[in-house]
Amino acid sequence: MADSILVSAQGLTKVYNRGTEEVRALDGVTFDLQRGEFTAVVGVSGAGKTTLLHLLGCMDTPTSGELLIDGQSTRGLSDSALTRMRREQVGFVFQHFGLLPTLTVMENLTLPTLFSKKEAKAYANELLERVGLTHRRNHLPNQLSGGEMQRVAIARALINRPQVLLADEPTGNLDSANGEAILQLFHQLHRDGLTIIVVTHNPILANATQRQLVLHDGRLVP
Amino acid sequence: MLILALKNLTRRRLRTALTLFGIAISVGVLACLLAFGKGYEAGLGRELNNMGIQMMLVPLGCPYDAAARVLKGKTLDVSLPAESVKTVRREVGVEIAAPMLMATLPRPSEGRTDLWVGVEESIRPLKPWWKMKEGSRWFPDENSVILGAEAANVELRQVGDTFFSPETGRKFTVCGVLERSGTSDDSQFFVPLATAQAMFRQPDRITAVAIRLKDPTLIGDVSKRLQEVRGAQVVTMAEMMGTFLNLIGSVRTLVLAIAIVALCISGLSVFNTMLSAVLERTRELGVLRAVGASRSQVFSLLTVEAVLLTTLGSAIGVILALLFGHFVELIVRFFVQIAPSEAFLILSREVIQDCFMVGIVVGLGAGLYPAWQASRLQPVDAIRAD
Ligand SMILES: Nc1ncnc2c1ncn2[C@@H]1O[C@H](COP(=O)(O)OP(=O)(O)OP(=O)(O)O)[C@@H](O)[C@H]1O
Ligand SMILES: [Mg+2]
Repeated sequence: MADSILVSAQGLTKVYNRGTEEVRALDGVTFDLQRGEFTAVVGVSGAGKTTLLHLLGCMDTPTSGELLIDGQSTRGLSDSALTRMRREQVGFVFQHFGLLPTLTVMENLTLPTLFSKKEAKAYANELLERVGLTHRRNHLPNQLSGGEMQRVAIARALINRPQVLLADEPTGNLDSANGEAILQLFHQLHRDGLTIIVVTHNPILANATQRQLVLHDGRLVP
Repeated sequence: MLILALKNLTRRRLRTALTLFGIAISVGVLACLLAFGKGYEAGLGRELNNMGIQMMLVPLGCPYDAAARVLKGKTLDVSLPAESVKTVRREVGVEIAAPMLMATLPRPSEGRTDLWVGVEESIRPLKPWWKMKEGSRWFPDENSVILGAEAANVELRQVGDTFFSPETGRKFTVCGVLERSGTSDDSQFFVPLATAQAMFRQPDRITAVAIRLKDPTLIGDVSKRLQEVRGAQVVTMAEMMGTFLNLIGSVRTLVLAIAIVALCISGLSVFNTMLSAVLERTRELGVLRAVGASRSQVFSLLTVEAVLLTTLGSAIGVILALLFGHFVELIVRFFVQIAPSEAFLILSREVIQDCFMVGIVVGLGAGLYPAWQASRLQPVDAIRAD
């Protein structure tokens, strides 16, 4: 079933120029992900996991190769078209949460709707309920624990109802209890049919997924 | 968006406050300046019209200086022959011609100098603001004096008092005291013209002739004909005002230049504030881009921030001007001789609007480049920047 492929990476390559030296952070990475699949990207530090996730999230453009999301190629898209992809197709959870310190939990959560101009008050409340932070809605990020911040970040990634959720080491900064809570949240989201890709060093999280992509030196290990 | 911008401004309170302060000061100066210009012109014009004097015949010399001195109650070194009044009166367009002789009387024992003005009854319609205190009369005899309110105060004299003037060897009876008018008349001593001429040994001389025309529109013709009077020249009030406003105008240009420099400097400080905000918040701006903010949205966010900053500054500036404008007016009054007697520093709605416009323009000007810088950030550059 070709139309059940949500994300298709074909020979994705990313070369960084560090001074005179070229760094091949990603080198010809090819894979397809099914709609609704829960996938982990693993590999040693410097293997290119974050780079891959950024490409998948349309945060950056590949040096060569092609990425298709929901059948649509992202090659040669303008900045505004890429912005629209980020806004509508993907939800991104940063390793360092990426919450704005001056905004409350609720404001951070609805931040993306400010740019998409979609009214999402009800859905925001629902998401907040879902991540168990309703009582924290008017708190500032610095009043929250790491686990709570991560949950806000995940909720924010979901506010525009994306096709795919991308998370970079979502449990990296958390203790095991909080990590477990995040894992449960991902399980729930997965059961609801969301496509999830997580970059992780955490074996528990990696083993909980359906599929693992192993990166080594920018290449996919079969 | 607005709330986001506002919250960002509250982050670096001190820096924001300093920037605001700079804008507030320069906008405040600008507000006073604009208000001053408009109010002053209007006020002076109204006053000169109220005066009922349309022109003055003064001795040859620097005409405007002469007229200004006469108006402000200072003496001239030169004088006109008394016949010139008759010449003026013969001119058909003239309704009233009032001769005046002004002389200073140094009073070393009192440590001041009094100004004596010889006038005839003809001056009264030309000084419509004169109001006499209870019991006052127009000069009943040649040794009568009418005191300005201030002069009466200083001399501790009332209507009916008699005093001796040792400097001139004359004895005077106070026949009248003027109510305070806020003009230079307040501090003067008015005596009959003939008395003044005798007192100061200036027989048949006068300092100036104040003139009112039957028809003010004929001012050009009349002044041309009167220009022929020997040793004299005509200064119309319109000319006076024009010259004076020119002078005020150049002072204003100077202050305006200062205000513009101040605005430029505060513009630079907005620029600096915004640019460092962009640098500091690179990561957050990247987050905004990552969650779906377009370039133009990031651009407008930063622009809104800058404009908000300057608009807020302008508001404070206008408030400062409202609060302290009165002091500025006092200072101007202190330095400028001819000032309208009513308040002239009026912050009209237009002036306030202009100030806000300037604030917004400065905000836009200073905010555009930092905003453009911010909008060029790529989400991934921003995320990695730490
Ligand atoms: N902006 C950049 N400029 C130059 N080199 C970069 C840049 N970003 C990443 N790299 C290099 O690319 C390689 C892959 O980096 P990446 O961040 O994708 O690794 P990672 O697998 O996420 O590692 P980690 O587990 O430590 O997060 C590394 O060698 C890194 O040094
Ligand atoms: Mg990484």
